[in-house]
Amino acid sequence: MNEARWTRPVLIVLLVAAIALITLDFRAAGGSKAHGIGAEVFGPVERTAGAVVSPVESLIHAATGNQGAEIASLQQQNDQLRAQLSQAQISAQDQAQLTQLLRLTSASHYKVVAATVIAAGGAYSDTVTISAGSRQGIAPNETVLNGDGLVGTVTAVAGTTATVQLATDANSTVGVEVAGTGEIGALTGTGETMAAAQGLKLTLFSATATLTAGQTIVTFGSVGGRPYVAGVPIGQVTQVTSQPGSLTQTALVKPFADFTGLGVLGVVVSR
Amino acid sequence: MTALRVTAQALAVPFALVVAVIVQLTVVNRAPLPFGTGPDLVLLTVTAVAVCTGPLAGMLAGFAGGLALDVAPPAGHLAGEYALVFCLVGYACGRVRNVILHATGEQTMVTSLTVMVLGVAAGEAGKAALGRLVSDPDVTTVAIRHVLPAAVIYDVLLCPFVLWLVSLALRRPAPERAPRPEFTQVANVFRAASAGAVPRLRLAGSTPAPVRAPARAEPKLRLSSGGSAPLSGTYAAFSPTRAPLPGGRTVKLNFGQDGHAAPGQWQRVSPGKGWLSTGRPAGVATPRRAAPGKGWLRAGRPAGGPATRGTSPPGGWLRAQRPAGAPAVRRASPPKGWLRAERPAGAASFRRASPGNGWLRTGRPVGVPTGRPMSSPPRGWLRVGRPGGTATLRSMSPPRGWLRVQPPAGARTLRRRSPGNGWLRPAGSGALAAPRRGLPGRGGARPVRQAQVPRSTAPPKGWIRPAKPAPPPKRKSPRKRWIRPVKPPRRSSYGTAPSTRWVRHSHSPWPGRRRRLLALVGGRK
Repeated sequence: MNEARWTRPVLIVLLVAAIALITLDFRAAGGSKAHGIGAEVFGPVERTAGAVVSPVESLIHAATGNQGAEIASLQQQNDQLRAQLSQAQISAQDQAQLTQLLRLTSASHYKVVAATVIAAGGAYSDTVTISAGSRQGIAPNETVLNGDGLVGTVTAVAGTTATVQLATDANSTVGVEVAGTGEIGALTGTGETMAAAQGLKLTLFSATATLTAGQTIVTFGSVGGRPYVAGVPIGQVTQVTSQPGSLTQTALVKPFADFTGLGVLGVVVSR
Repeated sequence: MTALRVTAQALAVPFALVVAVIVQLTVVNRAPLPFGTGPDLVLLTVTAVAVCTGPLAGMLAGFAGGLALDVAPPAGHLAGEYALVFCLVGYACGRVRNVILHATGEQTMVTSLTVMVLGVAAGEAGKAALGRLVSDPDVTTVAIRHVLPAAVIYDVLLCPFVLWLVSLALRRPAPERAPRPEFTQVANVFRAASAGAVPRLRLAGSTPAPVRAPARAEPKLRLSSGGSAPLSGTYAAFSPTRAPLPGGRTVKLNFGQDGHAAPGQWQRVSPGKGWLSTGRPAGVATPRRAAPGKGWLRAGRPAGGPATRGTSPPGGWLRAQRPAGAPAVRRASPPKGWLRAERPAGAASFRRASPGNGWLRTGRPVGVPTGRPMSSPPRGWLRVGRPGGTATLRSMSPPRGWLRVQPPAGARTLRRRSPGNGWLRPAGSGALAAPRRGLPGRGGARPVRQAQVPRSTAPPKGWIRPAKPAPPPKRKSPRKRWIRPVKPPRRSSYGTAPSTRWVRHSHSPWPGRRRRLLALVGGRK
């Protein structure tokens, strides 16, 4: 029982191993093989656990979120009425563009694979694991959305699970467009908890564009629909934060999707 | 059953870690908790394991758990970050736990919990710090300010529960006891005590309560159980018995003519031959007395002297025989009845200044020079211990006057370089203090030579001395020192008294015993 003799050598070996792992993963920009192995090992376990936990969790959500759901539905009604009002005000041409865009998206040749959230990342990272992987046809850099709007993009895929980086993650940047005016910009995450508190950060590329609270933000779309397909609604501008005289317009955007209670998600899979 | 239990305990930690990782990912992280964050079950498990077992298991569990969190699917940080942090936290918790265990000799739930709380807080802070260090975009100052306090609070709230679960799973079959070396130290103090240092102190429970004998019959210094049951096997070995002295010499203090015990049987732990039995001149008829039995410490009487002199105590009983003309000993110290060696005329009077407290003090034998400065401890005083255990019983030679018979005139003094750790040595029990041939004793107490012990490098029998202190650990190369903190050299458990702290915190059901112990080691109450 020579524990004391072994303690320090083992400690040094472990520390060196950890630092080597960090270095390797840093060089691979977070995409080293360690993550793949971990996903293959822990993915099935998480799927099983998620299958057990999810019904319970939805029950709890249903039980605790009653008033919240009511408030949410009322707010949604309010938003719809306000949107109708604003739609009546915007020009007919813009409205036509928007509807065309949305119709284009909905009628596009994209297929959606449904999956449920089975696990979530730690306190600092806004990532979730979904219960579908490469066997369901999911590949990295595909758009993830739910019934409310954009959720994020797939970053890593294992056999039966995939990791989704939420739009609220500080690593996430989405090319967006202001519905109606057509101004383009970038939407950056601020972290989940911060997103719930204040929202995502919108930066318009044009210095002359005007932003007003209540404008809807949709995805601009990427080449080939990766990582983001075009026309997915993201959220509404809640507060314009740009300083007078600044080169760019900035605003805070409240996302449509509820990132703290994600359930069923859809992954846009190209055929 | 035992093998099953060992297997279960060996598997408990990996199983707990896997469960913690899965629950953390699928339940805790998804739960819409207030403040937008939750506890870190893996960190809690790692710290609990470290606190319950030690640094090695702690850091292994930390590395494994952290690595699992790093690579399990929704991980948004670099692989190895949490492995690094949790490994360090597990090691630190286990180390602190070991230090506390070593210092206090026990592990309570409160200290475990405190260590665990600190480790958990350090782990959460370490996660955030390492995230900043590798410039993870997720870990911003705003996010840390938002997440860190809430996460620590959640963790601290869950600490007792997790610690209880883990300690339940890792419970040892027998409750942990104080480490053995510490106990040996106390035992040695008691041994020293029962060897005469503190005559009234006995190992609790080892003997029946002392029966108060009539005052005149009771010697103050009991070296063994005269009529009652023996203290233990150890002490039975030096039950003093009388043995005839060769040559008809008069011996004032004959320390332990042990005719019964096998030679060398207990000599390393207890005073060997030649300890503390009163000699009687050969040929003098044994006075019949009810108590104390033979061999009780008594001052010798010259051969052929009258048997009794007064009423009580009888002549020769533990009293200093004052020669005519000697200055009166002040009554304040030493207390009466304490072992006092015979002081011949002209010897320096007792010093009263220190150390007080009723420490046993014996007189100074004749002929021992008193030239040494009385710094501390004064010669002739028996020092039992000092808080911290430093320099206990430390002196180059046996303290003068302490349990040492007067060497005859012209006898060689004890060699200065030994005994090593300042342990008591009965004079004359070995070859070292043998009187020179042909020089007669002066009538004072003199050592009795048991046999011609061949001179050797090993200490002669009869020394109370511990086993050899462990040699300091060899350091292969000085370079290791930057990694490894320099350990204090391991001291002999015999050479050190139990630390005051240990005694104070030892779980003793008898407060009186504890108090006495504290007084013994010289600590504060």
